[in-house]
Amino acid sequence: MAIQTLLHKAKGLLLPLVLLAAWEWASRQGASAAYVFVSLATMFQTLLHLASSGELWLHLHTSLARTLTGLAMGASIGIAVGTLMAQSRVAERLIGPLYHSIRQVPLLGLIPLLGLWVGNGNSAKLLVIALAAFYPTVLNTSEGIRQVETRFREVGHMLTLGRTQTFLKILLPAALPSIVTGISHALAFSWLACMGGELLFSAGPGLGSMLLNGEVTGQMDQVLLAVVLIALLAQGMNALFNRLARLLVRGRST
Amino acid sequence: MRTALQSTYTPSVAPKAAPPAASFAAATPVRPVPQLVETPAPSTGAPRKSLVERWLASRWSGWLSPVLFLVLWSTATYLEWMPEQILVSPLQVLETGWEMTLSGELWENLGVSLYRLFAGFGIGSIAGLVFGVLLGLSSSLRAYVEPTFNVLRQLPTVALIPLFILVFGIGETFKVFIVIKATFFVVGLAVHDAVRAMSSRYAEVAQIYCFTRWQVIRSIVLPSIIPATLTGVRIALSRAWMVLVGAELLAAESGLGQMMELGRQMFRLDIVMLGVVLTGVIGFSLDRGFRWLERHLMRWKRS
Amino acid sequence: MTFCRKPALRAAPAPGPLSPTRRALWLTPFLLPLQSAWAADSALPTALRIATVARVGAAGKTYFTGSTLTVIEDKWLETELGKLGVKLEWVPATVNAVAAQVNEAFASKSIDFAAYGDLPSIIANASGLHTQLIVPGGSLNNTYLVVPANSTAQSIKDLKGKRIALHRGRPWEYQFSQLLEANGLTLADVKVLNLNPQAGAAAVATGGADAFFTLSDAYVLEDKKVGRIIWSSKKPPQDWKMRAELWGDAGFVGKYPQLTQLVATAFVRAHYQLSADNGREAYIQNEAESGQTESVVRRELADDGTPWKDRWSPQLTAGVRQHYADLAAYAARAKLINKPVQVEALFAPQFVKQSLAQLKINTYWTS
Repeated sequence: MAIQTLLHKAKGLLLPLVLLAAWEWASRQGASAAYVFVSLATMFQTLLHLASSGELWLHLHTSLARTLTGLAMGASIGIAVGTLMAQSRVAERLIGPLYHSIRQVPLLGLIPLLGLWVGNGNSAKLLVIALAAFYPTVLNTSEGIRQVETRFREVGHMLTLGRTQTFLKILLPAALPSIVTGISHALAFSWLACMGGELLFSAGPGLGSMLLNGEVTGQMDQVLLAVVLIALLAQGMNALFNRLARLLVRGRST
Repeated sequence: MRTALQSTYTPSVAPKAAPPAASFAAATPVRPVPQLVETPAPSTGAPRKSLVERWLASRWSGWLSPVLFLVLWSTATYLEWMPEQILVSPLQVLETGWEMTLSGELWENLGVSLYRLFAGFGIGSIAGLVFGVLLGLSSSLRAYVEPTFNVLRQLPTVALIPLFILVFGIGETFKVFIVIKATFFVVGLAVHDAVRAMSSRYAEVAQIYCFTRWQVIRSIVLPSIIPATLTGVRIALSRAWMVLVGAELLAAESGLGQMMELGRQMFRLDIVMLGVVLTGVIGFSLDRGFRWLERHLMRWKRS
Repeated sequence: MTFCRKPALRAAPAPGPLSPTRRALWLTPFLLPLQSAWAADSALPTALRIATVARVGAAGKTYFTGSTLTVIEDKWLETELGKLGVKLEWVPATVNAVAAQVNEAFASKSIDFAAYGDLPSIIANASGLHTQLIVPGGSLNNTYLVVPANSTAQSIKDLKGKRIALHRGRPWEYQFSQLLEANGLTLADVKVLNLNPQAGAAAVATGGADAFFTLSDAYVLEDKKVGRIIWSSKKPPQDWKMRAELWGDAGFVGKYPQLTQLVATAFVRAHYQLSADNGREAYIQNEAESGQTESVVRRELADDGTPWKDRWSPQLTAGVRQHYADLAAYAARAKLINKPVQVEALFAPQFVKQSLAQLKINTYWTS
C-alpha cells in the first residue's frame, strides 16, 4: 500500500519535472528568450537571497495575514447576508440583482472610489479581499439553506422549534457542506484579490508588491518567483482547507 | 471556481433547478414547500395579499433595487457628496457613452474585447471539456497530471502577461490565450468533478450492456455531465470576461480594459465609469443569457 | 508673510495640571460664539499631507526617494510644523500609478501637496482641480528610445511606419512627441502600441515591437542584451527631460500661506543639499537602497548635458514657464485634455523667492 501511494506521488512529479526541463532548455535559447525564461539557477539564487535576508518571509506572512483577515471579514458577512436572503424573499429580491451586476465589475473601476473612501493603503486592500470573499459565500450559503430538505424542516416544525432554534439546530448544520464549499471558493478568490490589491494599491510588503517591484525594476526572476509562490501557496491553502473541511462535514451522506 | 479534485462532500455550487424569471439564485425547492414552513396565509376574512407579497409576485420586482441604486447614485452626485471628478453622475456617463459611440471609439473597443472573449471561450471550453472527460475517466492520467493541473490553475494570469507576450507576440493571440487559459481550467475542473461524481450505477449499466469505451462516453458520460458542465461553462464565461478586462488594463492597445486604463491616466473618470458600467452590464447579460440557455436545454429535467 | 490670527489657546502653554489638549477642550464651548468672527482665519489643520512616490525596497521597507527623502531625513519641516501643532504626513504612491492616485487624492482633498509629474498636473488642472507649482526642480528623468538588439534602426527616422511601444497618458509621452517633431514626423507616422512599461519591455525583447520609448528601465534591457538604446534625452535641451516637482492644492496654499512657505523652504533646503557634489552620491545611494539597480542610476546620470546643480534649481525660469506652456498646448493637441489650461495661474514663485532670501542663497542658482 505504501509503495502504491509513493508510486502515485512519483507519477504526479513527472510532469512538473518535464516542464522544468523544458523551461531550462528555453532559457538557453538566446538572450531574448532568457529575458523571460529566466534560468532556473538564477531563480534559485534569487530565492536564496530573498529567504536569507528575511524579506521573503515578510512578504509571505503579510500577504497571508491580509488574506485571512479579509476572508474572515468577507465570509462572515457573506454568511449573514446569505442567510438573510434564504430566509426572506424580500431581501432576496432586493439584494439579488444588485449582487449579480456588481459582481461583474472589474477592480479598476472601483479603485478611484475605494481610494476615496478608504485611502490607498491596507484598508483598501482588505476591503477588496473581503469583497472577493463575500460573493461566493453569499451564493453558497443562500443556496445551501434554501435547499435544506423539507423533511428536516418538517422535523423542526413537529418539535415546535422556534425560528432561531430551527435555524441554529437544523438549517445551519444541514447547509454546512454548501457553506464550506462557499468558503473554499472564497479562499481562492480572496488570495487572487489580495494579489490584485497589492498590485494596484499603494506600496507595502506582500507577494503582489514583490511581483510589482520585480516588474518595475526589470527583474523577471523576482517576478517569476512571486508567480510560482503565489500558485504554490494557493494550492497549499486549498489542500489544507479541504482537510479541515473534511473534518467538519465528516459522516454525512449528502 | 475551485473544487477539490478529491472531494468527498458535495462539490458543486451548481444550482440544480430551473429558475423562475427574476429570482436570485436560480433555485427553487425540489418539492413545493408545504404550508407548514411558509408564513401561513391569512386564514379567513381578508384574502388580499399584502403590498410586499404583491410586489414579490410581480415580474418586475427584481428591478427595484437597481433603480433605487441609480436614484441613490444620482442624488449623491447632485448633492456632491463626493467630488465630481471622482463620482461621476449617471447622466455624465451616458453623455460620454454617446460621445464615444458617435466617434466610433466605443464600438471598436467593445468589438475587439468581445471577439477576444468569444474566440478564447470557444476554444477553451471545448478543450476543457475534452480534457476534463479524459481526466475524469482515466485514473492513471489523473496520477500524472493532477498536481500540475492544480498548480497551473492557480497561476495568476495577470502576472504571466510578459511571458505570454514573449511566447505569442503582442498581437491578438496572447490575449485570446489568456481567455483560453481562464476558461480551460474552470471548465476542465467542472467536467472532471462531474465525471467523478457520476453515479456508479451508470457504470454498471454500461458493463451489463458491454459498451465500448466510445459508447460509454457518448451515451452515458456526456449526457450525465451536461448540467454540471453548463454551470461550469457559465462560471467560466464570467470569469474569463473579468480576466480579459483585467489583462487589457495592463497590456493591450485596444479593448474595453485599455479604454478604462487610458481614461484613468487622463483623469477622465467618466470614461472609467462608462467602462465599469459596460463591463457589468455585459457580464450580467452573458450570465443571464447563459442561464436561459441552461434552462432551455434542461427542460427535460423536472428537478 | 501673513499669519492668521491664532487663537489664544495656542500661545505658550501655561503651567498647570491640565494638558494643552484638555485646556483647549475646556475653552471650546466659550469659543463657539466667536467661531463666526474667525470664519476666514480658522485654526491650522491638524495634519499636512504630502504625496510622493515610494517603493518597497529590500526587506519590505518603504523607501522614499529624491528630494522627498532629504526633506524627511532633515527633520526640519517636521519640527517646524510640530511647533505649530501640525502633523506632517507622507502619503506614498505606487510608481506605476502615481499620476492617477495623486490626482484622485487632490480631488478628494486627502492630500495638500504632491511631488509628481508635469503632465498629470496639467491634466488635473484641466479637469477642474486647481493646483499650483510651488517648488520647481528635481532629479529630472531622462527618456530613451530602445530597439531590439538585432535591429538595424539607427534613429527615429528609421522607425517611420513601425510599431513603437509607449504607455499613453504617462508624462514621457510629451518627450516622445517632441522627438518625433524634431525629426519631421508626427504621431500618425508611427504605429503606437499602448503597453505599460513591463509589457513594452517584453515586446521589444521579443521583436514584437520595433521600438520602445521609456525611462531609465531601458538600461535593464541593454544589460540583458535584448535591447539597444539609439536615442536618449541627455544631450538635447533640458526641456526634453521629464519633470517631477512639488505641487500644492491651490485652496490650501491660499488659506495657509505660512504653512506653504515652510514646505517650500524645506524643499529648497533639500535641493540645496542635493545639488552639492556629495549630494549626488547620496542621491545614488538612496536610489540603490530603494530597489533601483545602482549601475542603472549611475548611467542615467552620467554624460548628461544638464549639470547636476542646475537640475535642482527651484527658480521659476522662463524655460520652465515655456515648458509648461508647450506641454499644455501638446496636451490639448493630443486630446489628453478637453479644456485649455491657464498656464500662468499654475505658478506661485513667491514662496521660493522668500525661501531663497531666508536661506541667504539668492545667487546660488544663477538664472
